[in-house]
Amino acid sequence: MEDMIQVDRAMRTQQDTKISAKGVQVYYGDNHAIKDVNVEIDDKTVTAFIGPSGCGKSTFLRCLNRMNDTIDVARVMGDILIDGEDIYDPKVDPVQLRAKVGMVFQKPNPFPKSIYDNVAYGPKIHGLARNKAELDEIVEKSLRKAALWNEAKDRLDAPGTGLSGGQQQRLCIARAIATAPEVLLMDEPCSALDPIATAQVEELIDELRQSFSVVIVTHSMQQAARVSQKTAFFHLGNLVEYDDTDKIFTNPQDSRTESYISGRIG
Amino acid sequence: MSNLLIIAIILALGVAGFIMGRGRALRSAGGDKRELHSLPIYYGANVALSALLPAAGLLAIWLIAQPFAINNAVSGLILDESIEETGTRDLVMADVRRVAEGLDRAVDTGAMDAEASFALNTDTDDVRDTLGSLGVALGSDVTPDTLAAAQRYRELSGTGNLFKTLAVIAAGLIGLGVTYLRTHKDFRARNTVENGVLLLLIGAACIAVLTTLGIVLSLIFNTIEFFRLYQASEFFLGTNWSPSFSGRGQTSALGILPLLWGTLYISFVALLVAVPLGLFAAIYLSEYASKGVRSVAKPLLEVLAGIPTIVYGLFALLTVGPLLVEAFGEGGLFGVSWMAGGTAVMTAGLVMGIMLIPFVSSLSDDIINAVPQAMRDGSYGLGATKSETVRQVILPAALPGIVGAVLLAASRAIGETMIVVLGAGAAARLSLNPFEAMTTVTAKIVSQLTGDSDFASPEALVAFALGITLFVITLGLNVFALYIVRKYREQYD
Repeated sequence: MEDMIQVDRAMRTQQDTKISAKGVQVYYGDNHAIKDVNVEIDDKTVTAFIGPSGCGKSTFLRCLNRMNDTIDVARVMGDILIDGEDIYDPKVDPVQLRAKVGMVFQKPNPFPKSIYDNVAYGPKIHGLARNKAELDEIVEKSLRKAALWNEAKDRLDAPGTGLSGGQQQRLCIARAIATAPEVLLMDEPCSALDPIATAQVEELIDELRQSFSVVIVTHSMQQAARVSQKTAFFHLGNLVEYDDTDKIFTNPQDSRTESYISGRIG
Repeated sequence: MSNLLIIAIILALGVAGFIMGRGRALRSAGGDKRELHSLPIYYGANVALSALLPAAGLLAIWLIAQPFAINNAVSGLILDESIEETGTRDLVMADVRRVAEGLDRAVDTGAMDAEASFALNTDTDDVRDTLGSLGVALGSDVTPDTLAAAQRYRELSGTGNLFKTLAVIAAGLIGLGVTYLRTHKDFRARNTVENGVLLLLIGAACIAVLTTLGIVLSLIFNTIEFFRLYQASEFFLGTNWSPSFSGRGQTSALGILPLLWGTLYISFVALLVAVPLGLFAAIYLSEYASKGVRSVAKPLLEVLAGIPTIVYGLFALLTVGPLLVEAFGEGGLFGVSWMAGGTAVMTAGLVMGIMLIPFVSSLSDDIINAVPQAMRDGSYGLGATKSETVRQVILPAALPGIVGAVLLAASRAIGETMIVVLGAGAAARLSLNPFEAMTTVTAKIVSQLTGDSDFASPEALVAFALGITLFVITLGLNVFALYIVRKYREQYD
């Protein structure tokens, strides 16, 4: 295993590989949702998954923090390594893993708690703060990173559900980064937002790239082009093409990618 | 003409109206139903409804109003002496109605012809004997004024019934005729039928509401009657409940406090059993159980809700009571002698708690399931375990609904009767010991109204005062439950 990572490192002189998936298969009952996907996701990079509805991009994203475990009928096969460690190894605690691999969902889903408690939720359950002052600091830092601090600092005790849609989504991002994850997964984070809120979240994603490896599933090809450095195109459960974003959008190798990008399928 | 026959005639008018209306509409369109504004069935229904609804409404109003009108007209004929002799005007009026009915029956069976029945005279004929031979027993001899009132009563009801028959049938015919004439291919029958349907639905809703109102009013009137005979302050503040069955209220102590205490104590024990068990069962079923377990366990749990409460009562009396005595009684397992007999607050409370489990669990299960999956995903996505998610995200989100479910269960516990009658004993007492026998408001309502007590005595009327107190308490709880549920409902949308 170490060897392979060494090889990877050698190949990519600039960037480290954060996540490495090999021969991943996912079944929902009898439905073969993901077919033999191999992908290497770089650290401190935004990677976009694009593809038509039902192509398996969200399913694959949920494999990366074992969220599929919460679905009874889902079975995952193959190897997914994060920093060279197999996350489906029986020794790995999925609960710990999810603290390391944060996730932001399609629809903003703040808990019915105050803004402060929403952000403090993860640090509290994982015991990341020694005292209240530290917790306050984590909350403030996360909200600042999520570009929500200025709007929320005077109403930390107000319910998170009272925020606007875009603010709620940024609250969810703050909540996810409060546990100090190494990877941030985003499942269509802007599909329920208006264009202004989308622009704010996209700007935020670009900033988050400094600290995390970000994987984003999106339906909008413009969004993928705007925010990501690498793009993967999924079609019918297969990873069709994976390359630098510029290359995918200007010079796709596969005819299916080209059709999708030019709007002929999907 | 009997009411049944009148109803049959109206129905026949309706059927005839349907066929006629449909035919007329089709004829006006030259037999081509595409020319019609509405489907032919609507024209028929329109005519049928306008024959049926006014006639039926008129009949209903008439049936309610006529007895009142006749009673008012007749009661003026009764002399004050007769009232003093019998007790109350109502009792004399009951006699009047019995005499009138008896005479009508005599005419019906041919024992007397109509003229002879009106010519009766208390001096020459023995009315009581004549009616007695026809199976109408009277408590005392018929006085002249009672007979006169009875004759007037018969006359008025006779004319009333005749007018009723004529008016109702006329209403049916007029409705039928007018609508029949208006039926034409361009007539918007569909819209009119829509209004008719609306009326029908409003009528159904009104009946439900009016019935509730009627129940409440009857409770209120009897309660007022009770408070005329018994001091309200003694009823609400009295700490002693010992009704005497012979006296007229003077020797009875009818304080509600021991009963209310018993009710609340038993309900409290029941909720102490039902809320944790029901809630945990609901959490297991909705969050942890696999599909297979859930599909078996949930119906099994809900079977508990289908068991008649009298069966729970038997269970309390025969199983739980003796078991508790074995544990807490003299020489029992714990070496304490807190419990003298099988019937106790604990017995009734435990069994009632078991009865309430499906109530709490099934409502809570629905509420927990209504918490959006996104909440769970959000929490799992942050690395929370299942129980952390349940404790910190799902329960807070579902709390208002769960509180509502608990309050509804509480109002059921307060209104429960059979388990208490069999499990809690019959002694009204204010005590803190849960192993002592106590009784509740509902159990005492049963015991005050069963047996032959004089219905005008405070000992019987107290049942209504108890009933309305209970009603106010459960109503308050229900309103409070609804308020809580509404107030917090939108929180996670």
